[in-house]
Amino acid sequence: MAEEKKGRAVATSTAAKIPKFVRGNLSATLKAKEEGKKVAAAFIADGQDEIMRAMDIVPAWGESFSGVCAAKRDAEKYLQKAESDNFSRSLCTYATCNIGFDMMREELGGATPEGAPWGGMGRPDMMLGNGQLLCDPRFKWPQATQHYQQDVPVFVTNMYYPPWDPNADHHEQEAIYVKYATEELRETVKFCEKITGKKMDWDRLAATVELSDKTWDLFIDTYELRKHIPTPMDTGDAMNTMVPLTFNLGTQEAYDFYVDLNAELRQKIADGVGVANPERYRIIWAAGLPSWFALGDFQYFNGKGVVFPVEVTYRGCEKIERLDLPKTNDPLEHIAWRWVRYWTHWYDAAKKRPGSTPKVERIIEYIEDYKCDGAVFHSAFSCRSWHAGIMQQAATLKKVYKDIPILIMEGDIVDISSYNEADTHNRIDAFIETLAAYKKRQG
Amino acid sequence: MAFVLGIDVGSSYSKAIVLEEGEIRSYAVIPSGGDYREAGRVAARAALEELNLTFGDIARTVAAGYGGNMIDFADDTSTDISCHAAGVHYLFPSVKTVMDVGAQYSRAIRLDDEGRIANFIMNEKCAGGSGKFLQVAARILGIKVSEIGELSLTAQKAVEFTTGCAVFAESEAVSRISEGASPADILAGIHNAMASKIVTLVIRVGLTPDCAVTGGGAMDIGLVKAIGRELGTSVFVPEEPRITAALGAALMARETLKTS
Ligand code: SF4
Repeated sequence: MAEEKKGRAVATSTAAKIPKFVRGNLSATLKAKEEGKKVAAAFIADGQDEIMRAMDIVPAWGESFSGVCAAKRDAEKYLQKAESDNFSRSLCTYATCNIGFDMMREELGGATPEGAPWGGMGRPDMMLGNGQLLCDPRFKWPQATQHYQQDVPVFVTNMYYPPWDPNADHHEQEAIYVKYATEELRETVKFCEKITGKKMDWDRLAATVELSDKTWDLFIDTYELRKHIPTPMDTGDAMNTMVPLTFNLGTQEAYDFYVDLNAELRQKIADGVGVANPERYRIIWAAGLPSWFALGDFQYFNGKGVVFPVEVTYRGCEKIERLDLPKTNDPLEHIAWRWVRYWTHWYDAAKKRPGSTPKVERIIEYIEDYKCDGAVFHSAFSCRSWHAGIMQQAATLKKVYKDIPILIMEGDIVDISSYNEADTHNRIDAFIETLAAYKKRQG
Repeated sequence: MAFVLGIDVGSSYSKAIVLEEGEIRSYAVIPSGGDYREAGRVAARAALEELNLTFGDIARTVAAGYGGNMIDFADDTSTDISCHAAGVHYLFPSVKTVMDVGAQYSRAIRLDDEGRIANFIMNEKCAGGSGKFLQVAARILGIKVSEIGELSLTAQKAVEFTTGCAVFAESEAVSRISEGASPADILAGIHNAMASKIVTLVIRVGLTPDCAVTGGGAMDIGLVKAIGRELGTSVFVPEEPRITAALGAALMARETLKTS
């Protein structure tokens, strides 16, 4: 029986619109057949969004659905189903939750399993895997799912970018990586054309990419309003407000959402309304996906006057101008440059600080810009890809920047058995005491 | 002349301390059992009875620990981590790094010059550096946990465990017994494995001498020596290492009393 937890109160009313977005994305996959559209099992932040949107392909976001199951504390049945076929719990639980759900749906001949959170997700017509350079589950997950959905074709790309090496000239390497990524995207288009039986409308794709660029800019402009003291929005909300950028990029709805959020944050600033009053400490969420079943912990922080004006997680974009993208008439090449530079534009800064890394440099910039007193890292055990280097990031931050208070939380994205509320709150309390001592020392 | 009370309700033991003018006047340590609220009350009552005091004689009470929030007669609560820091600073003002080895977890706490927390790291997911490891060892060898320390000191050649994991070490210990390794050598090996886990935490938190070991694990002389060897320095151990958090809580109660 699923245990329903009291919903997280959101500080912005715009964030309250997010469940509608998520439900809309899920129900679009269920309605697609009636509307004569194809559904693609898809993965976030891999450059394929605009291709799908321009071809009217409906994305079925496995990561989103698993997050919903976790937030509803209703993932266990799917995790156990996957486990029954020997998928270990220490694999990515986004993947295993989704695979368990897919297994059940196949057993029902493609019908949605009863009681699926928010109506479940429709059966895909294709799967677009993407390793995003570092994530092995995103290679293997579509292939594993294909064991159960053998008629669904899989196409896996990678979107490599130059690896960080302080002694290498990444500017020299970028063009090669962009060329490779562009070709991957071109093959993706061909694959989608084959499955849908439709040709890509290249003008439509170019317009979609332009809309995405505008959304990236607006997103950053909006989030930068959070620099204000007291901050009008914190990470607890951002784990919701990331949805349009992450899952609806290239749509007018996503852009309009940030227009509304921007207006609301400006109003809050004008009215002097902050997430916490008084605001005692400002913290950066420096790395890690959240425990979706424990988003209420952000409120626990807020209740003690601690706010998160900024986070690295899900800030999956940058001001386009800052990336200094070379001009091109090929929308796929533009996507590839945007992707590669999104990562490499931190490399120059990292090179200037001996011992630093791009990820740490990014954290330092946010700490300075958003006037943070400390950092929280969340190490989710089942996502090796993003979380393996967290301890080192924290240690490097202390070494090359300053000995600021750091809290490393350990848990998971989906698997609630990794979570103990009393212990977590005890750690948070001790961290707040550390912050108090730190501020006292600073005078 | 004001008495203050500090209580630390841990997952295994509950401790209470009565302070008067900054001096420890009495303390009690009792098993927590399943009812933390009751355990805190019983420990407090035991410490008070030693001085023929009642709850009415106490000017202020601070509670900490796993069940600290359940102590309804406390005036205030704090985390046991801050309390450990305050307690150790009171006993050994030169100590900057505390290793607290409890029944379910181990943690490293770095202190600033005032005895406040500068940094801390907990490890409660892995039994490898916690008292649980010692309980497992005692069970396999058929001895009491309290006998482990002295026995381990008679080791001739510590068994080298290929794993730092308490679960795997259990089966490895069983194989070594069947190969003829002595209990003392096995215990010394377990201490070394635990010490290396604990010192890893210390390095992560930033090793700053002097160092102290607290918690039930500090009652095991073999483990304390192994930690000292691994760190390459001697470590301080309080006379009763289980009560430092309760002591810190009592000190906080005294501090608030002074400033209010
Ligand atoms: S990045 Fe992490 S959470 Fe996302 S799919 Fe890969 S392993 Fe899973």
